[in-house]
Parts: sequence; structure tokens; C-alpha cells
Amino acid sequence: MNSIIGQKVKRIDGYEKVTGKAVYGDDLKFPGMLHAAVRYADIPAGKITRLETDAAANIPGVKAIALHSDIPGSDKVGPIRQDYLPIVKDEVFFTGDVLAVVAAETKEIAYQATEAIQVTYEEFEPVCNLEEAVKPESRLVHPEYKSNIMVHYPLIKGDIRKGFSESDKVIERTYRTGYQEHTYIEPESVTAVPDPSTNGFKIYGSIQNPYTTRKVVAIFMGLKLNQVNVIQSTLGGSFGGKDDIVSNMACRAAILVYKTEKPVKLTYTRENSMRESYKRHPYIMKYKAGFTKTGKLKAMQINILAECGAYSSQTFFVTWRSVVQATGPYQIENVQTDIKGVYTNKPYTAAFRGFGSPQIIFAQESLMDEIAQICGISPIEIRKINGYKQGSITASGQVLDQHKVSLQQVMQKAAHKANFTPKYKQFQAKNKKTSRYKLGIGLACSFRGCSLGAEGTDASSAIVSVQADGSVILLSGVTENGQGLRTTLSQIAAEILGIDLNQITFLQPQTSTINDGGPTVASRGTIVGGNATIKAANEIKKRIFSVIKDELKVHKLEQTVWQNGNIFNKQDKKLSINFNQAAEKAYFAGINLSAYGWFKAPEVSWEEETGQGIAYFTYVYGCQIVEVKLDTFTGKISVEKITAAHDVGKVINRLGAEGQVYGGTTQGMGYGVMEDFDVQRGIVKSDNVDQYLIPTIKDIKEIQPVLVENPDKYGPFGAKSIGEPTLELTAAATNNAYCMASGQRSYRIPLTLEQVKLGKNLKKPVRQSEASHSGKKLHPRLSNIKTITPVNLAEALRLIHKQKFQPLAGGTDVIVQARKSNKTIKLMHISKIEELEKIEFSETGCKIGAAVTFSQILENKKLQKHFPLLIKACSLIGSTQIRNRATIGGNIVNAAPCADSVPPLIAYGAKLKLQSAQNTREMLLADFIKGSYNTQLLPDELLTHIIVPKLPHPGYFYSYFQLGRRQAVNITRMSVSVLVHLNESGIVDDCRVVDGSLFKKPQRIKAVEEVLLKQKLSKDIIAAVEQPLSQKIEDEIGGRWSAEYKKPVFIDICQDALNDIWQQARKK
Amino acid sequence: MIALKFTVNQQDIEITVPDSMRLLDILREELNLTGTKEGCGIGECGACTVIMDGAAVNSCLILAEQCQGSRVETVENLEKDKILSQLQEAFLENGAVQCGFCTPGMLMSAKALLAQNPHPSLEEIKTALEGNLCRCTGYVPIIESVQKAAEKLGKDAK
Ligand code: FES
Ligand code: FES
Repeated sequence: MNSIIGQKVKRIDGYEKVTGKAVYGDDLKFPGMLHAAVRYADIPAGKITRLETDAAANIPGVKAIALHSDIPGSDKVGPIRQDYLPIVKDEVFFTGDVLAVVAAETKEIAYQATEAIQVTYEEFEPVCNLEEAVKPESRLVHPEYKSNIMVHYPLIKGDIRKGFSESDKVIERTYRTGYQEHTYIEPESVTAVPDPSTNGFKIYGSIQNPYTTRKVVAIFMGLKLNQVNVIQSTLGGSFGGKDDIVSNMACRAAILVYKTEKPVKLTYTRENSMRESYKRHPYIMKYKAGFTKTGKLKAMQINILAECGAYSSQTFFVTWRSVVQATGPYQIENVQTDIKGVYTNKPYTAAFRGFGSPQIIFAQESLMDEIAQICGISPIEIRKINGYKQGSITASGQVLDQHKVSLQQVMQKAAHKANFTPKYKQFQAKNKKTSRYKLGIGLACSFRGCSLGAEGTDASSAIVSVQADGSVILLSGVTENGQGLRTTLSQIAAEILGIDLNQITFLQPQTSTINDGGPTVASRGTIVGGNATIKAANEIKKRIFSVIKDELKVHKLEQTVWQNGNIFNKQDKKLSINFNQAAEKAYFAGINLSAYGWFKAPEVSWEEETGQGIAYFTYVYGCQIVEVKLDTFTGKISVEKITAAHDVGKVINRLGAEGQVYGGTTQGMGYGVMEDFDVQRGIVKSDNVDQYLIPTIKDIKEIQPVLVENPDKYGPFGAKSIGEPTLELTAAATNNAYCMASGQRSYRIPLTLEQVKLGKNLKKPVRQSEASHSGKKLHPRLSNIKTITPVNLAEALRLIHKQKFQPLAGGTDVIVQARKSNKTIKLMHISKIEELEKIEFSETGCKIGAAVTFSQILENKKLQKHFPLLIKACSLIGSTQIRNRATIGGNIVNAAPCADSVPPLIAYGAKLKLQSAQNTREMLLADFIKGSYNTQLLPDELLTHIIVPKLPHPGYFYSYFQLGRRQAVNITRMSVSVLVHLNESGIVDDCRVVDGSLFKKPQRIKAVEEVLLKQKLSKDIIAAVEQPLSQKIEDEIGGRWSAEYKKPVFIDICQDALNDIWQQARKK
Repeated sequence: MIALKFTVNQQDIEITVPDSMRLLDILREELNLTGTKEGCGIGECGACTVIMDGAAVNSCLILAEQCQGSRVETVENLEKDKILSQLQEAFLENGAVQCGFCTPGMLMSAKALLAQNPHPSLEEIKTALEGNLCRCTGYVPIIESVQKAAEKLGKDAK
């Protein structure tokens, strides 16, 4: 039997994606299409006292401005509580609120118009602190709901007082998690098009849940559902994120269509997306656990605050999942859980892969490890003692006997594959011997309810339509979001019909062609979509069977086999008919070959007051093990290996399932280690992916998927889910690994450098004046540039002298900065000027043209030989694409504190050649830079060359260390560059130590150099550096917010660099 | 406005565009080559990667003026006579594509790498792709794909 189920199958929508032909939201164009942009709130909370649009409306090319007063239908939308206004009325609740939308002939005009809309406010003190927000004296974010607590789910099982009294030990811990931003690589885009045939709209775009979008737009526009047809474009990632926000965008596009009768496209920039889109809920979780000496859990009390931000959105559902799963997969007789969703004036929160589970898993799995430690047993043992087994009863009182409870199995498989126990011991032993780097291994387990559970109506639809030639069209009410569902469902249909996958076309559905399949969330696509597909395909089989049974000499469908494009008599394989012929036969017999499959999930139940009931009809189990390497000097964690064992019921597409593991664990790792969404006083500080960091290719080392199969009676071919479980465990396991490495417990993620080093997430404080961000472009973009290319250096110098042109070389800094500027920027393109493009060597050293790119520097053999410190630093600048464009001159002139080429050049004693039309001068680089973004360059001067003198002797040792928040493409947090020369007797006769990003400007640190000069390198002499260095740092930056972190870390990395040199010297 | 002359996918282009236009906009809006994507606009995500004069670059950070006389290659140029390149095939075979939004940029970065370095090490592959963010695949299948494509290209060359 060549079943296609469980094979590695190439995704069926792959071709268009590798050729660039797939059509994503922003790729759409319609004749006469207008472009839209939104006017955001300037402050997080306040009444709008005046909104002035005249100036905007008068800009030529502006076609319409829609305000709250223009809304034809209901102004408020939302999945449960309608508290969201796609266009606000007279009050703002967070800075992603939209006051007006503009349609114009071009994007640029639309942006300009939004910026010309004048608004004044009566400001309110924003509610920004979750714990403050629940206090009775807090200002109410939405006074009409009478409380900032928008939802409260209790759960009571047994008697916790009794449980605690029977415990040998009781501990209480508080855990905190931050926002996580979806960061799908495609920002949101929606296009609304007038549809005269229904007097309504067609809506296209990056829409995760077309049926939700249809409903929201219909309500907002005062239309019937059949007047709105939603057609999903290829989705550039979603992870739960392109739901509410895209529906709200669709409302705004639709209202502009209504006003202009033209197609209107609204595409977001990354900054728009970061500001407005919803995120994962920050949680504060108080866990109190009682247990026996041997580690048996007796009672658990859990109090959780979930930050829902300005709007309720999916918080009802997200927190419900948390309440069901909060104890983790552990049987505890006495449980009390309370979870509250709380309003604040910050970005709102809703669905994100994991959906209320990554937070509680982090808390509960951290707690389990700590209890194990207290009881002196291993992390595995504690989970064996308490973990669910067949027939266990959950916190909500559900008996787990309708599916295979595989927790112990997945844990055992993961532990085996990852070599958990031996490695644990090995790492402990190694860590005793090392000082800087420590190793850790940690594990986390979970159970997860499949599909929506008692939180919503759970049903889905599919249509299988066989054409007269045997080709098949498949439609599903659940959607392809990039996860590979089209392929999975097509495989299921192909398997049932016994035909080749190529014979099936999966049609991206329109909401008007197939009934609501419910949202594609909760990893339910395969399980409910698959079941609906099976039903439809089976119906087709029955119908085709009716016309071929005589030919095959059978009476019942069960007597046939459908395989390899043929239908056989089971008993006598010689009797067969080709599927295509059978289809043709059925067609001519007038048989309806289009069948509708409807799957309704098995019954579930929930008791609101007590939190008891059958929460989900089945569950999946997972266990992940993470290995980390911790740099104790800097607090940097690198994840070395992830082993992910998941019971998926049955694998349908192995390639797809493994892909989910790779992708999900990577997001989970980011969540645990680096994804730190920064909101200060309600203002989003992480406004692009240079500030909000997600894992790069270098942050991933090894990921090992372990797919465990225990077919489920409710799943299609036994399949359950995989998408979300993969994400939910990684942060928890990483934290446990980190705790093992450091020997300390930690109670907050993400584990940023500062969190690890100082136990708190240090942030640059924002002054109130800074908070209201006037003066910046609302929509960063390039709009006011003038460029010119001089033919040679002389002309270039003339141009800056006369017309104040700013040089443009690679553009990697200039262009990024120009996006934010309001002024007209005159740029002179100098990167093709021959004189500036050369690297020349002489007896005395080397002369590098200012327009030489970093890639050219890295490739230059002579530079590699003579200036290795420079090469090392330059190799860590940006990415390959950036290094291919960015120039050394640009890096210097920009004078960013994080400019990586500057410290090594200072160490080499580099000089700069500065030229103007009248004058040429030379200056030491160390003197040229005055401070951050501040240099001695005169307005009419051009940096033409960097002169790097040869070192006085051969045989210098060098050491370089760059600290960034992830493993590549960093904004350097700090660096240290060291050059040392020893004479024949091993005495330091030259020594140059330069900081990066520490002091006001990078400089040689004489305080350190003086200690070393004329000394032999030794442990003691390196230790002696500490005191003067510490003093110097204290004097220079002592008062700064970042000093608390930077001071100890710099001392450590500086001493380590010196140690490195000492070791190199000893080896010689 | 700039009167621009350059080549895109071996075709000579002469076009007049505003000074503020980026190569990315010229490709997507003026030339209808929408395979190249915008993910951040600041050179951090790599979705807009194209090959310019042999090197992978972020087309969101290149102004029209900087394109003068250059040779640009985009994802639309990879498939020849309806035959996918080895890289494209490898991406499909190894599950390197999920949502596909990062894919054009990834392919161009990988192509630029293999053109210069037909036998890259693991570390060299990672360095070539470090500027391309992918939120779906966890990168593992992408690395595998580039390795396999390099192997195949190596064999084909023999
Ligand atoms: S769009 Fe160019 S790098 Fe992100
Ligand atoms: S496949 Fe979705 S971002 Fe890479």
C-alpha cells in the first residue's frame, strides 16, 4: 500500500513561492486603485478635544478622509465584547488607535495627509502597570465597563487548605513574562474593492480568518454577510496575528471605498504593524505549591494577571486556555486557579501561537524544577511522580481516558534522544571547572487541549468536487496561513480517493463560496479541516461507487480498494476501473460529484463558576529539552540544542510536521531569550526589527524533532495537532537550562543580557516630554530626497561647498536616518568616485578610500595580514547585505556609538584625511569623533581617506570581543579591542585598549594601558586592571542608567581579552 | 526626477523616477516585479534582497541614483525556460518554504553566495544568510537546502 499519509511531501503551493509568483496582499493592483494611510493617536490615553482635517483634505491627490462620524454601521467591533473602534470617536486608549483614514492617489500623498491632520487632546495619565490597574483606585481604561478587570475565570478542585496542611513544604513564587510580537515577515495589507453585484465589497489581503473579517466588515459597514466576499491572499506568516487587526484594517479600507467608489489598498509599514498590531499577553503569575518530602504535589494555588492592553479582543479565549492548563500536566487533588484579564493603555493582546500556554508553562515548569531541587530529585523524577498517566484527572475534573495519555512516553523519548541524564551530570561536573562559560540542560513538559474546546463553536467545512476528467477541486473552510494546510488537506483527500496528489487543486476559498469553517486557530486546521475533508471525500466515493459497482462485481463500498488512481475489487484485483474513467462515468450518469463535508467536534462542557468540565475532546503531549551555553560575564545565553518530542497522533506530512517543530521552537527560543517588546509609558519603543530582535540564522544551532504517534480516535487518520505545542515549551525549557547553568532560579522571561546579569530588565527611562513624540514622521519613509552624482572628487567638493550636499556612499545609515527626517535631504552619491574606492599600501601603512565597503575590506588579503583586529571587527558589522554596501567612511562619519570599525582603527592609531574645496587636513580618528553622532567634520568637508599606520613592530597580539543581544546582525552593545606587543623578555612594550559603546566616545583606556606597560602579563597584573578601570568607568558614566550593567560587564570582558592575549603569548 | 539606465534580469531598463524612490519601489511598482518583498524598510530583514553587480544587497536601502548603470537580478530571473534552478528545487524538496515571504530574499542571498563560493561551509552559509530573517522555518531546512543545492551544482559541473 503506498499511502501518502506520513510521507515527506513537498508543499503544493511551493512553486509560486520559489518563483516570486505567489500573490501576497501588497502585490495586488486594481485599476484606479487608491492608497490609504492611517492617522494614529499621539498619546496613549486622553480625550480628543479638536480634530482638524482641512489642511489634509486640501492636499492635491487626497480623495477622501474617513472619520468616526462617517461609519455607516456599528462603530464598535470585537469577537466577544465589542469594545474596539476601528476609527475612534472622541477618546484614545492606546497609541495604535486610529483617528482618521485617508485615501489618496499615491501612498506618499496619503501619508502626508495623515501627518497634516491636527489633533489636540485632554491627556489622561495612562494606565501602564498591570498590578496597579487592578487596584480599586486605578483610573478606568474604559469607564463604561466599571472595572479594569475585563474577565475572571476561577477554577476550584478539592480543598486547597486541606492540601496545603497535608504538605511537608509550601513555596510561593511569582513569574513574569513580557509581550511577544508576532513579527511575521510580511506586514499587514488589505485591499477593498467595490462589488456592484452585491452592492458591497470584495476584500483581499493578508487575512488569517476570512469569515471573521467578513463579519466585522459587515457589521461596521451595516451590510449583510452575503454582501462582503473575503478572498485571502497568500499569507506571509500569521501565527495567530493576522486576525483582528486585519479585520479592523478591512473596515477602514471599506469605508474609504464607500466614500470614493474606488478600490483602496491599505498596506502597513513595519512601524505601523509594531505599533498597532496585537501581541502575546504579558502575564504575572503567582504560584503557591504544597508538596510532600518525596515530591508529590498536594495542592496548588494560582493567581494570574493577564494584560489585555487597551482592548478585550481574544483575551476571553486566551485566558480560558490558561485556566484549563495552568497546573501543567500534573495530577493534583487540590487546586484553585484564578485568572484575570486586565485593561491598560498599552498595545492590546490576543491570539499568538500558543494562545495562553507559553506563559503558564514557563511558570509551572520552572516551579517543577525548583520543587525537584528542594526534594533532591531529578527533573525527570518529579514529572514521573506527578505527571498525567492514563486515567488521570485534570484540574478541571476531566478524566483522561478517551485518548492515549502519552506524557511519560514523550518525556522518556525526549530524554533518551537528548541524553538528558548523562549530560546533566556531565555539565555539572564541567561547570565546576570553568569560570566564564557555563553549560545547562533543561526540560519542560506540557499537555494541550486540541482545537477550540469549550471556548467556542467548533465545526468546519470542506468541499470535494470531482470533475468529469477525474481531476479534483478541494475547498476548505479553514485556511492556509503558511503552515502547509493546503498540502495536508490535499494529502487527506488524495489518500481517501486513492489518487495522486497532483490530481488535486486546492482552491483558496472565498467566504462566499464555502460556509464558515471557523477560525484557523488553536492548531485545529488538520483535525477539524481534515475530518471535514474526509467526510466530503467519503461522500464522493459513495456516489462514484453507485455507478461502478456492477462493473467491479461488488455490492458494498467496503468491498473495494481505492489506490494509485484505480478502484479495485478487494477480492479480485483484476476487476478494476481507473478513477478518471469512473469519474467520467458518474458524470455522464448525472451523478452530483460535488460533496460537502461538515465536521462538528465532539461535545465538550464547562462550568463557569467552578471551572470544571470536559474542556477539550482530546489532548496532545510534548516534552522539550534545551541545552544552553551561558556567558556569565555578559549574561548572554546561546541555545545550543533543542530536542522536541511531540505526540501528534499521526503524522500526515512529515516535511510539514518537522517544519512546524523547527519554526515553533525557534519562535519559542526567541520568546525566552531575546524578544523584548519595549513599551514605555504607553509608547512603543520597539518600532522595527532593529529594536525588536527575533532569532537570526546564527541563533539556531541544532533542532531535533521527535514525532511520536498515538493515533487519536477523533483525528483524521489519527492526527491531532502540532503547530502550537512546538512553541509553547521552548522558553520554559530554556529557562530551566539557564537556571541549571547559573545555579540560580530565575522568574522572568525574556532572559535578556540585563535580566540574566542583574536580575532585572534594565530599560532606558523615558521622560514624559520624550513620550509624546512630536517632530518625527508618523510614517517613516523616504519622501524628501534629492540626489546627485558628481563625476569626480573635485566636483564633489564643489558641491558640498556650494550647496550643502550630504555624502551618500553605501546608504545603509543615511537612508535609514532619512526615513525619519522631516527635512529635505540633499544627497551626493560618492561611492563611484575612483579616488575614494581604493585600498593602497605603502611602507608606512595603508590608505583606505572612504567609499571602500566592508566586504572589500574583508576580502583584502593584505589587510587581513596586517590589520587582523580591524578585519575581525568589520566581519561582525550588520549582515552580508549591509557589508556589501556600507562603507568605512560612512561608519566613521556617522559616528554612532556602536560603529564597529572605529575602536580597532583607534587602536591602530588611524588618521583621517579631510578635504574641502579649499583645504586638506589630517586628524587623528580619536580626535575626530567628539561624541555620539558628533564629529569635527566641517560642513564643507568630505572624509576622503583613512590612513592606518603600520604597527611599529611585527608580532602584535590582538583580541576583540563584541557583545550583541543575539548571534548576528547586532547593534553592538559593547566591544573591546586590544593590541599588545611584548619584547623578547615578555615585557609589554606597547599596549592599546579601546572601548566600544562604553564611554561618551570610543577611546584608548590609558588607565588600563598604564597598568600593563613594562610588566609581564600574569594573572595578578590582569587582576590589577580592575580597580583603575572601575574608577574610570565610574567617573565617566557612573550616573547613567546603563552603567549598572555596563560597568561590571566591561571590566570582565576587558580582563578576559587581556587573558586571551596572555594565553596566546604563552602558546608561542 | 532621475533618468535611470540599468539592467534588470538582463533587460535594459530606461525609466524616469523620483529621487526618493528605492530600488525596491522601482522593481515592485514601476517594473511589476513583485517577487521582491518589503519586510522592514531599514535593511534588517532581507526580504528585499536582490543581487546587484554580483553582490546580495537590500533593495530597500538603495536609492534610484545608486542604481545607475548597474546590473540587477531578482527572484523572477531564477527559473529558466520553465525549469527551476537547483536552489529553487532544493528549497521545495527540503521544506525551506512555509509562508514564502522570506523566500525570494533567501534565494537571492544563497545564489550570490554559491556564485562566489560553490562549496561553502556551514558557517559560510549562515554568514551569507544572516541578514535574511525567517519567522516560519527555524532556518534548519533552509540551510539544508543550500547545502544540497551546492552539492548538486558541484556534481552537475563535473
Ligand atoms: S525590507 Fe529591506 S531589509 Fe527589510
Ligand atoms: S517562510 Fe515565512 S518567513 Fe520564511
